Formats: sequence, C-alpha cells, structure tokens
Amino acid sequence: MRKSVLDYILRIYLPVTLLIVVATYTVTYFVSRDERYHVGYQPTQPINYSHELHAGTVKTSDGRMGMGIDCQYCHTGVSKGRHANVPAVETCMNCHAVAATDRPEIQKLTAYYKDNKPLEWERIHKLPEHVYFNHSVHVNKGLACQECHGPIQTMAKVAQAKPFMMSNCLDCHRNAPQRYPHLVNLTGLKKGPENCAACHR
Amino acid sequence: MQQIHKPKLKYWQALEELEGSPEALEARAHEFKQGVTDDFDIQEMGGVSRRRFLAAMGASAAFALTSCKSYLDHGKVVPYNNQTEQIVIGRPTFFASVVTGRNDAASVLVRTREGRPLNLTGNPDNPFSQGRVSGHFLASLMELYDPERLQKPQKADGNSVTWKEADEAILKALQGDKQVALVFNRVMSPSFHQLLQEFQAKYKQVKVYSQTTFHDGMRHAAWKKSHGTDVFPCLHWDKADVILALESDFLGNESNLEIERLYASRRDVMSKEHFNRLYVAEGNLSQTGMNADYRLRLRPDAQYALVMGLLNELGSSASSTTLASVVKEQGLSETVLKSLVADLKASHGKALVYAGDRLPEAVHIAVNALNDLLGASALYRDEAEVHLMPATSAADLNALIAAMKGGEVGAVIHVNSNPVFDLPNDSGYADALAKVALSVTLAQRVSETSAKSTYVLPLHHDLESWGDYKLHTGLHLIQQPVILPIHDSRHLGGLFETWLKGDSAAYNEDLSLTYLQDYWQKQVYPKAKPLADFKSFWNAALHDGFVQYAEPVAKPGPFRAAALSEAKAPESGKEFVVLLGRSYATGEGELAHNGWLQEVPHPVTKVVWDNYAAVSVTAAKELGIKTDDLVTVTVGNRSLELPALVQPGMADKVIAIELGYGRSVAGTIGTGVGFNANVLLSNAEQTSPWILGKANLAKANGKHHLVTTQLHHAFDVDREQNLQFTRGIVKEANYQKYLKDPHEAEMHGHHLVNVTKMHTYEGVKWGMAVDSNKCTGCGSCIMACNVENNVPIVGPDQVNKGREMHWMRLDRYYAGTPEEPSVTLQVMICQHCDNAPCEVVCPVNATNHSPDGLNQMAYNRCVGTRYCSNNCPYKVRRFNFFDYRDRFAKSFYTQEVHQLQHNPEVTVRSRGVMEKCTFCVQRIMWARQEAIREKRPLKGSDVTVACQEVCPSGAIVFGDVNDPESDISKYRKHVTGYHVLEEVNARPNVTYVAKLRNTHA
Repeated sequence: MRKSVLDYILRIYLPVTLLIVVATYTVTYFVSRDERYHVGYQPTQPINYSHELHAGTVKTSDGRMGMGIDCQYCHTGVSKGRHANVPAVETCMNCHAVAATDRPEIQKLTAYYKDNKPLEWERIHKLPEHVYFNHSVHVNKGLACQECHGPIQTMAKVAQAKPFMMSNCLDCHRNAPQRYPHLVNLTGLKKGPENCAACHR
Repeated sequence: MQQIHKPKLKYWQALEELEGSPEALEARAHEFKQGVTDDFDIQEMGGVSRRRFLAAMGASAAFALTSCKSYLDHGKVVPYNNQTEQIVIGRPTFFASVVTGRNDAASVLVRTREGRPLNLTGNPDNPFSQGRVSGHFLASLMELYDPERLQKPQKADGNSVTWKEADEAILKALQGDKQVALVFNRVMSPSFHQLLQEFQAKYKQVKVYSQTTFHDGMRHAAWKKSHGTDVFPCLHWDKADVILALESDFLGNESNLEIERLYASRRDVMSKEHFNRLYVAEGNLSQTGMNADYRLRLRPDAQYALVMGLLNELGSSASSTTLASVVKEQGLSETVLKSLVADLKASHGKALVYAGDRLPEAVHIAVNALNDLLGASALYRDEAEVHLMPATSAADLNALIAAMKGGEVGAVIHVNSNPVFDLPNDSGYADALAKVALSVTLAQRVSETSAKSTYVLPLHHDLESWGDYKLHTGLHLIQQPVILPIHDSRHLGGLFETWLKGDSAAYNEDLSLTYLQDYWQKQVYPKAKPLADFKSFWNAALHDGFVQYAEPVAKPGPFRAAALSEAKAPESGKEFVVLLGRSYATGEGELAHNGWLQEVPHPVTKVVWDNYAAVSVTAAKELGIKTDDLVTVTVGNRSLELPALVQPGMADKVIAIELGYGRSVAGTIGTGVGFNANVLLSNAEQTSPWILGKANLAKANGKHHLVTTQLHHAFDVDREQNLQFTRGIVKEANYQKYLKDPHEAEMHGHHLVNVTKMHTYEGVKWGMAVDSNKCTGCGSCIMACNVENNVPIVGPDQVNKGREMHWMRLDRYYAGTPEEPSVTLQVMICQHCDNAPCEVVCPVNATNHSPDGLNQMAYNRCVGTRYCSNNCPYKVRRFNFFDYRDRFAKSFYTQEVHQLQHNPEVTVRSRGVMEKCTFCVQRIMWARQEAIREKRPLKGSDVTVACQEVCPSGAIVFGDVNDPESDISKYRKHVTGYHVLEEVNARPNVTYVAKLRNTHA
C-alpha cells in the first residue's frame, strides 16, 4: 500500500502536532498557574521589614529570636472592619523610638516619621475592585490570618502564599464547618454565604 | 361567574394618556422608546476618525508598555504617619454639624470615611428634625465636591489675585467715608450677627441688607399688626384636626422638616389618633395640593374674598362678604365649602387656617382674624421661629440702589447673595453696581453678581466651617468642620474679623472658632445653665450638634379687630394672574449648578431640567395651547416667552411659573437651563411681588420640548382599556368608611397558588413598606438614594430618551377629571420579588436571589442584554447606555475633586450594565459585620436604608419580615397593605399601604 501525503499527515503529523499543543498548553497551564494567580509575588518594600522577626516565635534565619507580636497589635482594623490596615508609622515608632535605633532600616523608618513623608509600601494582596472582602467577619469567626495569607510568621520578606480566586473563596465558604470543626462551637462558625451580594455590590 | 371588583376611579398619569393620544399609549407599551438605541453615532461619541483612532491605539499601547512596571504591580499602601484616633480605615465616623440653605439650616449627622464627608442624615437627637433631612441639604454634598467651586480669590474675569490685595482694597473702602453696603441672604448665625454689630460699631458707614427673592415677611408684618408682636409662634400641626391651606405649600416649598413630620404623624394607620383633614385652596397644583383631601381651585388674588366669606359665614361681624357670593363669583364647589364650614365649626380649637408666604399682608391679617375666631390659639406653641435680621424691604433696597447710582456708596460686598439675578430688572441693580468703585462677591461659585464684581472671593463650604445657627427659640445649632478646606477659600466669620482688626495679615483658620467659643461662653453658656464647666459644655454641644435651653417666648396678644378694618383689600380681577414660585429643584436659582437637584423630577409635573408656564386645562383649550408650545406671558411692560405645560387641577386664568431658572452665569451645569422668569418681577409698589394681576397669555410661535419622566417606565397595563381598572396598581379607600369597618379597605385581593414549591426563607428576610398616607411626594428619598448608591446624572437629553438612572421613581397618578383631579403618589423601586420575573430570563445568571430575600445584581456578570428589564412588571431596572460620568456635560463629574464624593462601599457602574435598587445591600452587609463582631444574631432593626433614613414624614419602613414583632410585619399584615400587581404572582416584598382619603363617606 502506497503511503500518501495525506496518510502521513493524518497518521503522524497531526497527532504529533496535537500532542505538542496539548502538552505545551497543559504544562504552561500548570507551570504558570502560580504566576497567573500572583502566588509568590514578592515585591521589594521600602523598608526591609521582617514578619519572621516580629511575628515569629522561633529563631529567625539570621539568628535572632522571633518576638511573637500579635498580628492585631499592628493590623488593628482586622477585627473592626473591611480592611486589615497597614499600621501607621507611629505604631512602629512606639517601639522603635528606642528599639534598634542603630540599624539602618530603622533610621530610614525614623526619617519617614520625622519628615512626615508618606511611606509607600508595595501592596501584595489585592482583590479585584468589584470584590468587597471583609476581614472582620472572618477574623471574628475565629479564622486565622494564615488561612489566606499563608505562614506569614515565617516570612522574612512577605510574598503572596495562596491564590485569591473566587473558587478559593467558595471552596471554604461551602465547607467551612468541615474544615474548621473546632470553630463551630467556639464562634458559631457556619457555612459562608454563597450569594453574589455577599461580596459583590 | 364572579363579578370582577371594579375600583371606582380610573387613574391616569398624563393628559395625553387620558385623551388616548397614540404617542402616550405607545410610550406605555414600550419601556425603551422606539429608536432608543439608534444614536450611537461614532462621530458624536468621540469625534475621532478611524485612522486617528488606530494611531492613538498604537500610541497608548506603547505608552502602556513603558509605564507598566509589572503586571503584578498592585499599587501602594500608604498608611498614616500619625494615626488619628477616631479613624479606622473602612469604618465611617459620624460628626454632628449643620448644613445651610439660602433660607434655612438643618442639623445633620455627617458620615465621613477616611476624612471625606460622604453622606448626611438628619441629626437623630435634634428635637426639630429627629433624624430627617430633605433633599436640598443632601445635595449640598455635591457642592462641596463641585469641580467649579471657586478655588482661589480672583477678579470677575477669572484672573487670580491674592487675598492680601482684596483685603486691602476692602479695608481701604471701610476706612473711607462713603457707605459700605453688605448684602446678605438670611443671616441665621447669632455669633455672626453679633460680629456684624461689632463691625457696624467700628465702621459706622456700614449698612447691612438681607435680600432673598422669597421670604415670609408678609406673615410677620401681618402678625405684628394683628397681635402686636412679630414673633410668629410655631404651630401644633399634629394637633390640628382640620387644616385649611391657602396657596400655601407647607408640605413642599414652604415646609420645614418639622411641619412635614408633625403633619404626617396624623396620617398614620398604625396610630390610634384619627387622620387630620386637609383642605387646600390654591391656584396652582402644589405638592401640598396633591395631598389634599379636598381641593378648591382658586385664583391667588381671590384668596382674600374667600377668607372674608368664611369669616362672614362663621359669624364674624368684620366681614360683609357672603360666602355664597364668593362661591358664585369664583365658581367654587359648594359641597366642598359646606363641609369645610361644617368642619371648621365643629373643631373649635382644633382647626387651623394657614396662608402661604406669597399672599399679601391683608390676606394674612384676615387669616389671623379667622384663626382667632376658630380658637386656633390653642394650636400656638410656646416656641417661635427666630429671625435675627428681617428681610430688607423693597423700599430700603431701592434706597440702596439710588445711593449706589448717586455715587454715595464706596463699596458693596455681596455675601452668598446674587442681587443682579434676583432683583427685578427695573430696579437697575446691575447698572448701579457698575457705578460703585469696589464691588466684592463672597461666594462659593460664580454668579451673575460675581461677574460684575471687582473681586470674587471664595468662602468655605458648610462642611469646612465653624458656625452656629438659630432658627428656633431654645434650640441653638452648632456647626463644625468635618474636612479641611479643599481650596484656597476662607471662612466668612474669619474674614469679617480680619477686616474688623483692620489688618489683612490677621486672618487664620482659628479666628472663627475662637470667636464662636467666646460667644458661646458669654451668651449661650449662661442661658443653658449646665452643671458642667464651659469646656465640657462646649464639647458636649459639639458632640450633639446643638444645645437646648428654656427660652420664654412672648405670648401673642389678643387679635386686634382694627387690624382687619385697616387692611387694604388686595385687588382682584378676572384677567390672567401670574403666580411666581420658588423652584422645587433650584430654589431661587442659587442651586442651579447642582445636577442632582436639576434631575430630580418635579414633585407634581415630573419635569426635569426646566421651568415652564403652567396653565389650566380650560385656558389651554381656549387659547389652543398644548404642552411644549411656546407662550408669551405679559405683565405690564414686562414679558417672557417660555414653554407652556397644561397642568390638571389648576384654577382657570392662573399662570404658575417657577423662578430659579435661566441663570446666565451658573457654571457648566446651571447656565442656560430653563427660562429666567425674574424678568416678570417688578420694583413697583405692590401688595405681593409674586402675584401679578392683569397679565396676558398668548400663544407664541415655536415649541420647546419639556423633558419629563411622566410616562417613562410607565406600567404596561394599557393593552386593553379596562385592564387598568382591574390591576389596582394604586389603591385607595375612604378613611371614614375604614374607621367604621376596616375591612371596607381590605386590599388583599388574591389567593395565590404556585405550581412549584416556594422557597422557604429561614432567618432574616428583608422587606419594605411604603405608607402612601404619609408620603407627601417630596423626593428626598430619590436624593438620598443617589448619594448613597453613586447614581449618575445623565442630563436632559438622556432623560428624554427614558434613560434616567434614578433607582427610585415617584409615580404620580391623577384620578378623576383633568379639571379636578385627585392625586395618588407611589414610590416605585425594585420589589425584590420572591418569584422575580427578571431572574428567570437572565442568560448569564447575573441577577438572582439571595437567601435573605434580595434580588441581587452582579454587575460583573451582566452582559447587558436588558432581558431582565423587559421582563420586569414594575419597570424599575436601569441600564447604563453610556458611562454617564464620562458622557454627561463633557465629563464634568469625572474631575478629580468630584471623585472624592463616591461612596466607596458601592461599585461605580460603567457602560453596558443593568442596575437597580439593592435594598442598600452595603448597609445590610455592614449590619451583618457588626452583628458578627458583637457576637449576636442579625436583627431587622439593625438596618436603615438610605431612603428610609431621610424620609421627612417617615413613610418608608424596612426590616425583617420573618420577625413577627417588627414594624414591617405589622404593615404587611395590615388590612390596607397590598402588593402591586399581586396577581402576576411575582410575590414582591414591598408592601404599599393604600391611600385613605379623609373625605366624607
């Protein structure tokens, strides 16, 4: 039987091309997923602030002891309203007026405060503007910051740890009591709302 | 076969509809007008050719690449350096303050977010307003963020000057020996009033004038002649069983928040107190007239005869005019007058006659006599309005103008006033002003007067100012700034102190606060007699927004019978009479720059962005005038050409025109809107400057299209003529019959059966009730909704296409004949139906139902098919045909300063998206957040929606319908409660309380 060009195309060329396309797509899909979801986004901040040192409780990578400061000491808004709030520079100065004043990063911070210059932190976690996420309802129901933000107390430089897609929200909203059985009695945790207006309005 | 229950009345919304005009019927059948989508003209939209568009695209793509640091860039977070204690990002902070209008001031609670005032409500602790606020005060937020506010001191041509230069010029004039005239509106601040007196004590040649187009000077002058004191007492509106309003819009233009609340408290089906009965005798159909139980159509210049007739009928010897002769001459309804006389006789001490501000002094005196006869002094309260400075009389203003012309005036300083526009042309104010060496306008924005002034100096907005106001005895309001001055403006009090000190460098922002505190310490603190020291007293007053103290008011003396005989009877005629009125939207013109107000439909005619000459049906027929026809109105040698509007329910031979339009210098929004009817005003001696007899009306050539929301979003019921009888969209019953047997007014007509299983709502389910008896049709709810929900202004051309974006619609239905219509009002918003017809047709499931009973709208899913709107039986969905913020008035409202006004809790919708009332879901979510925070279940009473919050008469109730104890449940179960279009089985969640007319059974 004579092999025609068509036969060659149908038997070899087409399947191979398809395979390559599908494989490329699949690989790209999985490889780029974190990137697309902004997972691992780790911008350089104006002050080299370490959550590991302030919030952590174990020895940090550079050998200092973590201080275990509660998240809400700085992020005061988190139980009060929609926004967690990045602390005012004043809050840093509560300690750093006297603590570690010899370090260059602290001197940088003090300069911002003294000159009343706006301190522009790079925003890491961001939801689209049509989403009205509310920190307080989650925190007041006993959910830990780490559920969404990852092990923030181990990060010397903060990066986004988890994807912030609507499917991630819904995954938890639908299964909250199963995921956090200990909170059901403690804070009255129920399933989260799944209706549009809960987050979009 | 069962007989179909026929309501007795046929309702109609416009004359065209009643007459069966094909356009009107067409408009009802199609929510979106024919050709509504035709005008997407690329040329008009951008004015860009294809080639230029591509070039621009290429350039912007390149630009975007260079400017983009990273697609991951999420922007910056900039915390405070020093945290203000009160501010928690994302939580509102409330401050009590005062917002002023030209003639009034309201005690308000300002909601601020991160230092920006975003919304107002009435101050709930204030005994006067009790948490209510009207639309005009809400609209003042727009003024704070108005991109065209004066931003720096300037000359008339817009060239900027320094404050120092202006101050020095003014100081020079003050130190000269020529007169310096200060022209104010109403002065309402006691501390500023004292400062003015100090000012006059130092600069002897300073004279102060108070000039407004409308005022209630007639009432006060008449009161003084009748009772020997010019302190007109506040009235017990809530204790009057019978009210007769004579050309008085006491529920509308002449209202204040208290009157509306007190009146509505006697229209409450839930209260044990019986309804009051409202008689209105008026020439035009006013907002008050819409609410009347009985209405008499009467020329304004015949009001005197009516009052005299009533006096005679009630047995007063002072009048020889018999009522029968008035009835005959004016063609009044005998039955109505008979019941009026019977009611007045039967309710001694509980009947009140109230004459409108515009009526001549003699009518007010006659009314005082009538009230005396009726024992109305039982309804006078021990409180009175405070007038620190009475309105300057026309004679005094003329003397000023003559002095200006004679070169005797060295300087004129206008404070927020606009006499060049306001005063009659024949007063010659503009020419006189040109002869004055130094003219200054202190204002927030440009005006006809500022255009003729040497210096135009910007003043702070109310929310940037310190101040105090007193409109009632024993109630002293205090104003505090809630935002730092946005522009290089100055505080009025501070400016006058600077000039008082005689040093232009003396100004600083604290001057007015220091003066205010000093005044309060010396004048208010001793009166209030608090137990605390001054500092605590001051802080408490600041926190509350007001102080109350006992302040005795002189009792009005007995009625002086001679006053009536001394009064000169006003002339009455048979010719046309022009009745000039304040505009419901733009006031006297001072609010013409406010797009929000311009776009709220007129409470009666539903016209937006325009004024017109309202004429009666009969007169229109005689002269062959139709709505939109241009007509010429002539009074003496003054005439004006403007469009006519055929108004049902008007007295014949009356032409009603609203002033406040046709501004020539009012910024992008206000300039050239409507027709300047101030040209009809005259400087000549007259009994009332606003009622002009011997007028002439003639049809002119041409047309001017009046834009109205009248038939927009009309109910789709007229496929068959009789269908609207049976649909019962608005329902009404007789109050007297209802009293005898409430089931007379039974409105629940349908037993609804479902073929599918109904969804059960556990927990909270939201619902609303609107009490048609309390609603007076003021439209404050629409304004509150606009402010809360970032509703855009679309402009008259778009309203004309039926594209207004207001989430609330105030439907006005006429019933009866065009000559003598009765009116029913209905607030129409999204009904949040349990079986919502819109939800089932959405191809992308953008609109669906929430477990707490909300019909929710996900803007991001919406692809703009408009199927939902087509399928909505209530016509409450609004579609963004454009990005209206960008489209309206050359992107006027996209300017940076205006962006600050948006509520951050609500999405700013863009083009191609459907939107509608959300039941203020952001407030519901806020209440839920707070409930979770306080570890308690969410209650229905936790949520107050925006429209409910401001409603001056408390007609709107909102809450949890699953809670049997809640107010809303009681309304839902009430015998007069009904749902609109119940029979389509949409199961709406807005309950209407049927209108109960308190006519004789």
